[in-house]
Amino acid sequence: MIEDSKHIHAANENVAEQESMNSMDVLVGYILLIGVLVSVLLIIAGTVWNWLSAQSLTTQFTISGENYFGFLISSLHQLLTGAIRPQLLISLGIVTLMFTPYLRVAASMVYFAFVARNLKYTLFTLVVFSILTYSLFLR
Amino acid sequence: MSFEWVFLISIAAGFVGAMSGMGGGIILIPALTLLGLDIKHSIAVSIVSVIATSSGSASAYVRDKITNLKVGMFLEMFTIVGAIAGAAITLASGQRFLYLLFGIVLLASWVALLIQRRMPEKIGTQQDRFSKWLELSGSYYDQASRETISYKANRAHFGALLMFGAGLVAGLLGIGAGALKVLIHDLVMGLPPKVSTTTSNLIIGVTALAGASVYLAAGMVDPGLIAPVILGVVTGAFLGTKVLVRISNQTVRNVFLVVLIVLGLEMLLRGFGVRL
Repeated sequence: MIEDSKHIHAANENVAEQESMNSMDVLVGYILLIGVLVSVLLIIAGTVWNWLSAQSLTTQFTISGENYFGFLISSLHQLLTGAIRPQLLISLGIVTLMFTPYLRVAASMVYFAFVARNLKYTLFTLVVFSILTYSLFLR
Repeated sequence: MSFEWVFLISIAAGFVGAMSGMGGGIILIPALTLLGLDIKHSIAVSIVSVIATSSGSASAYVRDKITNLKVGMFLEMFTIVGAIAGAAITLASGQRFLYLLFGIVLLASWVALLIQRRMPEKIGTQQDRFSKWLELSGSYYDQASRETISYKANRAHFGALLMFGAGLVAGLLGIGAGALKVLIHDLVMGLPPKVSTTTSNLIIGVTALAGASVYLAAGMVDPGLIAPVILGVVTGAFLGTKVLVRISNQTVRNVFLVVLIVLGLEMLLRGFGVRL
C-alpha cells in the first residue's frame, strides 16, 4: 500500500514537473513559430523587392565564409547604417531563422537553472549551448 | 537553376516530408542535384530548411504532445557533436562519395518503409542506473486516452551513442534524420510514441543549426538558393499538414516508395560516375 502511494506520488510529481516544463515549451514553441514567420516575411520582402528593382527573382549575392555571429553583426550593422537593400532583408531572414533553435536551447538552460533549479541539467544544457556557440563562432 | 524550379521542387519536398513524417531533405537534395545543382550546396541549403520545418512545427508539437526536455538535452550533447563532425566530413569529401552515400541512405529508407510493420507499443518500465541518475523518467496526461502515462527511458548510454550517429548522418547529408531519431527513442530507449516525436523535433532543430553553422562558415550557403528553398519548403509543409487528414496513409506511403527508389538509384549511379 505504501509502495503504491509512493508510486502515485512520484507520478504526480512527474506530471507537475512535466506541466511546468510544458508551459515553458509552449511559450518557446510560439516564439519559434513567430521567428520562422518573421524570417519568411523578410525573405519574401527581399525577393519581391529584388524582383521589382532588378527584374530577377534570384537575389544575387554570396555569403562569404564567415561564421554566424560575423554574419549577424555585419547584417545588423548594415541595418543600422540604413544600407537597406534586398540582399540585407534576405540575410536578416536567414539570421532570424538560424537564431530560433539557439533561443530554444538558451530558454531551456534558463528553465533548468532558475525554475527547476536542476544543477545536472543546467550543466548538460550548458554543454549543448557552449558547443552550439562554438560552432556559431567557427572560422 | 531558376528560382521557379527550385521553388516548385522545394514545395514538393516540403509537402511529401510533412505528409510522410520523414522530412523533406531526403528528397530535396537529390532533386536539386537532378536540376544540376552542386550536391554540397544542396546539402547546405537543405539543412537550413530543416531548421525552418523544425522550429515552425514546434508549437504544433507541444499542443497535446509532450516533450521530455531532459531526454532531449542529454541526447543533444552527443547529436550536436555528430552533426558538426558530419558537416566537416562532407565539406572534405568528394562528390561521388556523397552521391553514393545518399544513394545508400535512400535505398535503405526504401527498404525500411517497405518492411514497416506496426510495432507493439512497448513503453519502458525498467530503467538502468545510469538512466535513473539522468532522471529520464516522466509522466504526462494523455488527452486521447484520458490517463496519466508514466514512462522511464532506458539504455541512455546506448541511446547517446546512436544519437551521435544520427547527428553524424544529419550533418553529413543535410537532412533531419527524424525517422532514425524517433526509432532510437522508441525502440532503444522505450519512450512512448508521442514523447519520441516531440523530443525528436527539438533535437532535429538544434542539430540542424549546428550543421548549418559549419556550412555557413565554409561559405556554402547560397542566399540565391535559400530564398526559393525556404519559401518552398515552408509552403509545402504547410500544405502537407492541411492535406494530411484527407489522403490515406497508403497513398502517401506508395508515392514515397516510388520516389525513394527512383532517386536512390539515380544517386547510386552518379556515385559510380554514370550520369543518366
